[in-house]
Amino acid sequence: MSSWDELKNTFFEETEDGLQALETGLNDMRDGNGDNETVNAVFRAIHSIKGGAGVFGYESLVGFAHVFETVLDAVRRGNLAVTSEVIDALFSANDTLGGLVAMARSGESVPADFGRNAKEALQHVLNEATDASCEDLGGQGPDSFEGIEFVPVRAEVYDEQADETHHLVIRPQVESWSQAADPLPVLQALRACGSLDLGAETSDVPPLDELQPSRPYLYWTATLRTTARVDELAHIVQPILGAFRVEIAGTPVSAEPPHLEETSSANERSTASDGSQSQSAGTADAQDDPVKPAQPPATKPAVSATIRVDLERIDRVVNMVGELVIAQAMLGQIVQDLPEQAEGRLSQVLEEVIHHTRELKNAVMSMRAQPVRSVFQRMPRLVRELSAKTGKKIRLEMVNEHTEVDKTIIERLSDPLTHIIRNSIDHGIETPDERRAAGKNEEGTIRLSADHRGGRIVIEVRDDGAGINGERVLKKAREKGLVAPDAVVSEEEINNLVFMAGFSTAEIVSDISGRGVGMDVVRRNIQDLGGRISLKSERGRGTMIQLALPLTLAVVDGMIFRVGDETYVMAISAIVECIRPARSDVAPLLGTRGTLRLRGDIVPLVHLSDIFHVNSRISDASQGIVIIIEASDGARTGLVVDELCGHQQVVIKSLEENYGSVPGIAAATILGNGRVAFILDAEELCRRSGEAGPAAARASGHGIANAA
Amino acid sequence: MPAAAALKILIVDDQLSVRTVARMSLEKIGVRLIHEAENGQQALKTASIQPLDLIISDFNMPEMDGLALLRAVRGHPALRKTPFILVTGRGDRELVIKAAQAGVNNYLVKPFDQATLQKKMEEVLGRIS
Repeated sequence: MSSWDELKNTFFEETEDGLQALETGLNDMRDGNGDNETVNAVFRAIHSIKGGAGVFGYESLVGFAHVFETVLDAVRRGNLAVTSEVIDALFSANDTLGGLVAMARSGESVPADFGRNAKEALQHVLNEATDASCEDLGGQGPDSFEGIEFVPVRAEVYDEQADETHHLVIRPQVESWSQAADPLPVLQALRACGSLDLGAETSDVPPLDELQPSRPYLYWTATLRTTARVDELAHIVQPILGAFRVEIAGTPVSAEPPHLEETSSANERSTASDGSQSQSAGTADAQDDPVKPAQPPATKPAVSATIRVDLERIDRVVNMVGELVIAQAMLGQIVQDLPEQAEGRLSQVLEEVIHHTRELKNAVMSMRAQPVRSVFQRMPRLVRELSAKTGKKIRLEMVNEHTEVDKTIIERLSDPLTHIIRNSIDHGIETPDERRAAGKNEEGTIRLSADHRGGRIVIEVRDDGAGINGERVLKKAREKGLVAPDAVVSEEEINNLVFMAGFSTAEIVSDISGRGVGMDVVRRNIQDLGGRISLKSERGRGTMIQLALPLTLAVVDGMIFRVGDETYVMAISAIVECIRPARSDVAPLLGTRGTLRLRGDIVPLVHLSDIFHVNSRISDASQGIVIIIEASDGARTGLVVDELCGHQQVVIKSLEENYGSVPGIAAATILGNGRVAFILDAEELCRRSGEAGPAAARASGHGIANAA
Repeated sequence: MPAAAALKILIVDDQLSVRTVARMSLEKIGVRLIHEAENGQQALKTASIQPLDLIISDFNMPEMDGLALLRAVRGHPALRKTPFILVTGRGDRELVIKAAQAGVNNYLVKPFDQATLQKKMEEVLGRIS
């Protein structure tokens, strides 16, 4: 099949959709359900068929569609009332149009008088229109429009249009320096408005002995030649206000109330119409999607806009995207190795490829995303059943159940969540009598919520029950030999005992939970998903269990770095910042390889060379790079590595499936040079550094021995 | 005098077949960097990611039609200058008048052939080499 034939095929498929929309719309109009949008949709369907038919040279189709569309146009302008005669004419025209399409598709020649009756009926109803708006019913209107003096506008005219020069000063604010709002997207948005001349001002930098490293002294001055007005520029810089002070022509830009402004500024705009209102306002959230519409349009398409696709097919696309990401990384490596003069144009194109791959990945991932509602909605029933069984009064609150998560995660979330809620009802929430005695509301509350937080999805189950009875847990753990009789155990460690295999504190093993196969299985399930579970409990006040899960299972943005000869990857979402610390900021702490003073905070350091037993090229954190990572509970740790190699998307290859689970390593990936690298588990590394005392000391002993 | 191979052009039409025919015409003219969008919203997104030398948009599209797209482009500080050719049906004079008022650079009547397309483009961009 030639490509032209294929195109014709595409056209006929689109035409089928159009005919279907047409029929649906006409039915609605006949039944009196048709509003303006229905008539518009019908008009558009015919108009599209006409347009496409013209492109592919089906003249009889074009001619008939033109008369058909003229009638609809009269209807939507209110020039023609929808009488039963009109409806009859439209339906017969619909049949004729379908017939003409079928003949065009099969290549039959159209009989001379085909559809004459329908055409006459249309012309007849048109005569009754109040304004015989369309003079040339032949459908063969002129290519140029007589009576209109249309002068094409040369593109350059816009360039010469009164460009104004604006002077901007963009200055980081000391108070919010650590908030780290990224100014780059905003600067790019400004550059897109015209020609931008950006310079760094160094005049505020004090002599060295007065310099405070944590204070920002540099700022930017920008000269922008653009057609954009001051209020539009003020709008563009909104995302960084707070972290930056922005002046336009000496006047500081003030923060706009985020939503109120959208409508008012759009209304002021003389050129703005319905379409552009939602549009122009979107510039503020400039990051990935500068012109995201404020609201999705409320119109519903006449033809169903969803199709059902086998998950297997989507997964094939996911896999291909993964392979594409790897191939792209390889290409990137090759481009990087080229001599500089050869790579210029190529790396530009590569940038585009990277951009599109990222979009592609996001698009594919969003196909797999589903709202957590599908799991959440099984819980009310569970709560009802259990509350009937236990005689406890329980109210279930569900928050943000529309949060979207990868389908695989959703599927494997059901069991752990059921376990947790069972536990909560069985052990957490007290009986109405107990609750009354404790001065609480008789009715206990379980709150189930889902949130996106730092590139992860965090699901919380919070109850206002009795909390964990620390003494009982500890007693039980000692009985079972899980804790040495003389060990001193912190409250947090007691809470974590709940997750140990074979642990159950229920005095009476109920048939709801407490068979001792609960929480350790839950933890295992969540860890298998690349997630982390944590528990906080307050005696008498309740318990909160938090699940932090990755958003997707296939591709992540990764930071690549080297320790000795080994290359590792850390998910960007876990990284707070990367720094090369000053020697004076690295303080030894007894029994560890040191801590880092970071803007007033103390961050424990972990030398990856110790954990993975590789020979590092550096002996001290100040010679290398420290990657500050953050766990989902907010704990920070500095990873000491030799050097950073770059940032790229990496495809996650499961370690568990192919080898087995290794603590501290989340998965593996394939790099641009074809080598396998490990993706590190930020949660585990943070946890290790937190509890590390003795372990780190041992490790450091090992490291020193190596160095010696 | 722009070189065809360096032009970045966005075709907006809800029909894949029509977009593809337009793409083929552009390719015959020598244009290499051709983006496509199915509707106004998508077009704005594409346009905001990279600067374009020309938008060729159909009028008749669901949700955000070509005229609304034109107005959005002209009202958008970063996209305002992008040259815009609106594709109309035969005999649609009112639309051409509205588009001219909204700041369209040129119009094209559907169906158009490669020569007409090139002529209309050159009226806006200057002679294409």
